[in-house]
Amino acid sequence: MSAPSTSRQRILDRVRVSTHASADPGYDPRSAYAALPRSFISHGELTAEARIHLMIERLREYGAEVVECSPEEVPATIAAQLAASGKHVFVAPSGIPPAWMVTAAWQISGLEWNLDQWDTGHGLTTAEIEKAEGVVTAAFCGVANSGTIAIHHSLTEGRRVLTLLPDWHLCILHAGQVVETLPEYFGRCHVPPSLVTWISGPSATADIEMTRIKGVHGPRFLHVILVRDPV
Amino acid sequence: MSHTAAAHPELDPTLALPFPQAALPVLRNPQLRKNVAHAIDVIQAKRGKLVEEKTDWQQLRQAASAIRAHALNNLAFYLEQFETRCTAAGGTVHWATDAAEARQIILDLLRQENATEVIKIKTMTSAEIQLNPSLEAAGISVFETDLAELILQLGKDEPSHIVVPALHVNRSQVREIFARRMGLENLSDDPQALTAAARTYLRQKFLTVPTAIGGANFLIAETGSVVVVESEGNGRMCLTLPRTLITLAGIEKVLPRFQDLEVMLQVLARSATGERMNPYTSLWTGVTPGDGPQRFHVVLLDNQRSSILGRPVERQTLKCIRCAACMNACPVYRQTGGHAYGSVYPGPIGAILTPQLMQMQHAQSLPYASSLCGACYEVCPVKINIPEVLIDLRAKVTDQERGRFNRFLDPMYLGMKMANFLFASAWRFRAAQRLGRIGLSFFTSRDGWIHSLPGMGAKWTQTRDLRGLPSETFRNWWAARAAVGVELKREAK
Repeated sequence: MSAPSTSRQRILDRVRVSTHASADPGYDPRSAYAALPRSFISHGELTAEARIHLMIERLREYGAEVVECSPEEVPATIAAQLAASGKHVFVAPSGIPPAWMVTAAWQISGLEWNLDQWDTGHGLTTAEIEKAEGVVTAAFCGVANSGTIAIHHSLTEGRRVLTLLPDWHLCILHAGQVVETLPEYFGRCHVPPSLVTWISGPSATADIEMTRIKGVHGPRFLHVILVRDPV
Repeated sequence: MSHTAAAHPELDPTLALPFPQAALPVLRNPQLRKNVAHAIDVIQAKRGKLVEEKTDWQQLRQAASAIRAHALNNLAFYLEQFETRCTAAGGTVHWATDAAEARQIILDLLRQENATEVIKIKTMTSAEIQLNPSLEAAGISVFETDLAELILQLGKDEPSHIVVPALHVNRSQVREIFARRMGLENLSDDPQALTAAARTYLRQKFLTVPTAIGGANFLIAETGSVVVVESEGNGRMCLTLPRTLITLAGIEKVLPRFQDLEVMLQVLARSATGERMNPYTSLWTGVTPGDGPQRFHVVLLDNQRSSILGRPVERQTLKCIRCAACMNACPVYRQTGGHAYGSVYPGPIGAILTPQLMQMQHAQSLPYASSLCGACYEVCPVKINIPEVLIDLRAKVTDQERGRFNRFLDPMYLGMKMANFLFASAWRFRAAQRLGRIGLSFFTSRDGWIHSLPGMGAKWTQTRDLRGLPSETFRNWWAARAAVGVELKREAK
């Protein structure tokens, strides 16, 4: 068994010989990269209205529930969604607007809110998150073409575990966050994010006879509130 | 109830039977063929619909192919960049020249963790290095968490496809395996109930096992990030809950930039499962304080990839993003399923990848497991010209045999030599035709067909009839016709 550093050198040397590359540390393939063909569709052509419609349609095709509301109606809509879920123990990331929880807590009796304040050292334990029946978060972006929601795990979107263990996920997405194509989403990432979860509908499998079954290990229920910002 | 397969399939290319022999048990198992054909028809129909709606599909293929080729052409540069960025983000990068070294690195890491159990995300690369048996031998219990992999692990079966590895198993077979291994006697064969049983079975493992092993769909050089594409959420569980995460990835998995995913994610799900996007894709970068595993290792595996890289025609094999579209489109795979290929990589991509991973010392029958129809090339999202590589590998196999001394005992070699001798002279060719017609007339039935031949010829007539030779050759007929024509012309004058 060779030492790791030797294996590293051996692999890199073999790769260099095979690709006729130099070991010059100043070598930069940037110009070759810039010349790569990228003639696929980058920008969508739909109107803002049609783009939102497509996003909703695609989310529903995946089996996600979608409701629309105005910015003022967000807290009440969240409360209504929580009440209709039949669940009582919820978690949310610490960065979400306080009004989201206050209204819900005020309207529903027996509702339990747990804020995950891991950024200030008061994070919930895995057991506490596992006990929660639902989670409410924001998102970074929505991609209409594929009905995809991109979560970058900021303080409003929560740690990864938060949107993973609870069976029911309510995601608040603003119309202004919705783009038509995947390349447009990448255009909005000015700095590459270090954590991303791209979600396209609830967890699913087709491993048994190609029959699509909703809900394996991730949340089985995905609800989206699409907020119509004034233009 | 007939069982999944006649015997435990052998997926170690050094031990597997040649493809034509390995395919026989499947060809004689109508249940298995039905399961495979059904699954493939479903995926193919979905893929066809979603590729058709994508008006820039060919442009996406072109871009995907160019990005992958560029990454391979500059592989050393991008690997070093990945290592630097991943390390800066808190990850540890290990390099393994071959399967044995990769297994040892992973085993050492697990020992450092005092691990007695690991949870695993589906990774074909770990099957390539036969990781599970070596971990079990070292006393570490392995829990596969992908539904299909779980079915195979509990059923002591092997994967037959790289995206839906248990597609050869039907619902009643899954029910039987789960009922027996999970102790659930009253389990129904409804896929919903079977999936729920798997969820319950694995939930406690996700929450308690502190070490996970997974693969990578892509490594991002620019950022040192790793990307895992999945459907069920078992991947997210393994990537998020454990204390320690070990990622095993082939060195060819690297992409130059984060933005390259705008192409790859568009072509991968459509090609693999016929979805616009798979339910979950995760990207992470080293270690994030407070979020996910706090110890993260990447094992970069060479295992012959660097030598494949050095062969101009074969290099494109490494562009593969493991979508399995080629096997879904392949008329041979549709008949034989995956086990016949004797490798964790079946289908057309397996037929070119496996012999190369084996340095052409094993699996030499695989380049012949194709009709060269080109369906695989047409569907490949990164435009790997699989038929071109197949033909090149066939040439290599032929060259190998040319050097073998005992080729003089090989009936194929002798037959070809004989044909060469006969076809080289018109006189010998005509004589052979006359002799052949006389010889075959003893076996030809009254209906003009040969139903059974002795010796070597039986290999043909076992599964199909052979048309008997006509009573005269084309040359004889032409000569006779010309003679008659001349006769008629003379009479007309």
